[in-house]
Amino acid sequence: MSSPAKSDNRYALKTKRLALSAIFAALAMIFSYIEALLPLPVPIPGIKLGLANLIIVIAIYRLGFKYAFIINCIRIFAAGLLFTGVFGVIYSFAGGILSITVMYLLYRTNIFSIIGVSMAGGVAHNLGQLITACIIMSNIKLMSYFAVLLFSGMISGILIGFAASLIDNKIPHLKV
Amino acid sequence: MIKKADITLFFIILIIGLGISYFTLTGSQSGDKVKISADGSVYGIYDLNEDKEIKIAQNGHLNYIIIKGGCVSMASSDCKNQVCVHAGAISETKDSIACLPNKVLIEIESDSKGGDIDVITG
Repeated sequence: MSSPAKSDNRYALKTKRLALSAIFAALAMIFSYIEALLPLPVPIPGIKLGLANLIIVIAIYRLGFKYAFIINCIRIFAAGLLFTGVFGVIYSFAGGILSITVMYLLYRTNIFSIIGVSMAGGVAHNLGQLITACIIMSNIKLMSYFAVLLFSGMISGILIGFAASLIDNKIPHLKV
Repeated sequence: MIKKADITLFFIILIIGLGISYFTLTGSQSGDKVKISADGSVYGIYDLNEDKEIKIAQNGHLNYIIIKGGCVSMASSDCKNQVCVHAGAISETKDSIACLPNKVLIEIESDSKGGDIDVITG
């Protein structure tokens, strides 16, 4: 009697997670689109707010690494091909994977708040992109951009972190 | 909301950033050679003090580089983001213009060895 009910419950949770992941992926793509429409007026490549990262941070907290990682990959692929072209996908991937890994590891330590996690994620994202740029251009001198990208990643990461903590407190804690 | 570890991390990143800025921003001097790389290999080295227009066509990409009045700039590029064109004109050894989509890189070099970090540390 109890075992079918238990498995029903498990399926229900799985379906919930799946639906939430789909919503998150769609939202992340919308944020990528908004960012592609309204680029920041700075003449340095790589400086942006990273609105889509907001979704990824919350996904790490609410759904765990596996789901957040998949949402991030879908977002990068779909938004990259739609808005920036194949070229942008390579950079986004390097940044996205490094950033989500760093954010998850910091999240697991349990000593950082969502703001610190997001800040580190922003810096890691820019570092990943810059390393890719160095490899693609086979030129280490490009690392001189790192100081600028480090500060911009830090600032945008903090802003996104603040937004994420506000949103995380506002939306109800569904059991997923 | 903000934890102690966040603040610590903030300052660690800040110090690393300032350290890197210090190393990359100091020791810049005005150069006199323009080194252009395309697709990872050196395309050509030009004199910065000699006005010149350079057209780089490779892998189906087109970039126009203009050397004028001791400065070099990317006049036009067929890349999508146009970051390289908006980068403006450069003339110092620490500066560079990169067009990542077309894999074109403009660097400034100097004949005098004084500012060359590799020579001092090597």
